[in-house]
Amino acid sequence: MSEPCYLFSGCLIPTRLPFLERSARLVLDRLGVEYAPLPDATCCVEPIGLRSLGYDTWLAVTARMLSIAEEGGRDLLSLCNGCYMSLKESAHQLEDEGTRQMVNEIMSPTGRSYNGGPRVRHFMEIVNEKGLDEVSRHVAVPQTKLRVAVHPGCHVLRPSEVCEVDRPFSPEVLSNIARWTGAEVVHNEDWPRCCGGGLTGVDDAIAMAILNETIEGFKAAGANCILTPCPFCFAQFDLKQRQGIPVLYLSELLALSFGATPEQIGLKYHRTRFDP
Amino acid sequence: MRRSKLEPGLDDKLGGAMVRFELWRCHQCGQCTPVCPSRRHGGIQTREVMLRAHVGAIDLAADRQIWQCTMCNSCSERCQLGVDPAHVITLLREEAAARGNLPQHFREEAKLFISSGMSFPRTGLTRKMRKEFGLEDLSVTDETMEELRHILKATRLGRVKVE
Repeated sequence: MSEPCYLFSGCLIPTRLPFLERSARLVLDRLGVEYAPLPDATCCVEPIGLRSLGYDTWLAVTARMLSIAEEGGRDLLSLCNGCYMSLKESAHQLEDEGTRQMVNEIMSPTGRSYNGGPRVRHFMEIVNEKGLDEVSRHVAVPQTKLRVAVHPGCHVLRPSEVCEVDRPFSPEVLSNIARWTGAEVVHNEDWPRCCGGGLTGVDDAIAMAILNETIEGFKAAGANCILTPCPFCFAQFDLKQRQGIPVLYLSELLALSFGATPEQIGLKYHRTRFDP
Repeated sequence: MRRSKLEPGLDDKLGGAMVRFELWRCHQCGQCTPVCPSRRHGGIQTREVMLRAHVGAIDLAADRQIWQCTMCNSCSERCQLGVDPAHVITLLREEAAARGNLPQHFREEAKLFISSGMSFPRTGLTRKMRKEFGLEDLSVTDETMEELRHILKATRLGRVKVE
């Protein structure tokens, strides 16, 4: 992506995990990606709980943000799997003219309308697009001590006819990027697992059981770190996990390998302590 | 499964032709079920929900299964007939929420979204951390909230009873 884009950091990152936004911006700056925060943004009507309370609300709220990007003539860049899938799937639904008309009617009192144009991109997609040569050029501190279990998370991959970042079975993009930073990948998910986060606060017993099942085998594989491009998975692993394996959000791994200090990117805010 | 009188004609209420098509296309092969992370731990039985939705045998005012889905989309990805169980569950939840059947957690989340435009609360720590990392302060403007109210007034989330 050479054109400037709108950075949409969502809800969870800006309110509870701003340190992830710090490292993400640092990495984007290094990679020469131009961005500005999406103006007049709201929550994307997250696609786990809120969307299922009002499907039409989700379509209209996401269409509103797509229309802002359309007006500014920029693509949208998401730091979150949930926001990515939410906006991406909405844009997909809105390719249908009838749906677009219905949604534009709902939006009409706001003076906005959406007619298509902006692409919805994921942070991991942008890094992958930069490629091995461009990324490794910036690697000053190879992360050779890290033995990583990669966890891409659901909504960057599924539904695969909408998401375009990676293939849905045995995905490879996250593993590749980890290797570019010098880390060793010791555990990969053929059928990408759920972190259980969608049921945290709704049915905690099932949420915990799913989390435990997902990280089963990480330790046996020799992993000393979990890597994810999703802030919801990050929070689930960092706050709820009892096995004590530290977790890194994708931009944190990249920032560390680019030479950022732990203080600069706020690693002290991790609940499961990470010692680089 | 026998047709139930709980919700006669349920399929007609579920969002028009698309969902009816999803439901009719389901052959009950059950491939959606073993890939479901919730099912493996005693949660939702996707195949059963698809059948129940089809024949109208769900009590939407009380059903708990539909709220045990993590929305990981594994079922929809796995389905070889191109049915979208996660979407069907989404629309079942929408109908359930309209009848007042929704978990307290989502009720709180909806309340927060309707009042602030965000799904997580902005706290003192939010401001402190954003300042520490040199990030601009976070605010949803009054104009944006006004736009959001227009959308909520015309759509279903705005009609969910959150109190």
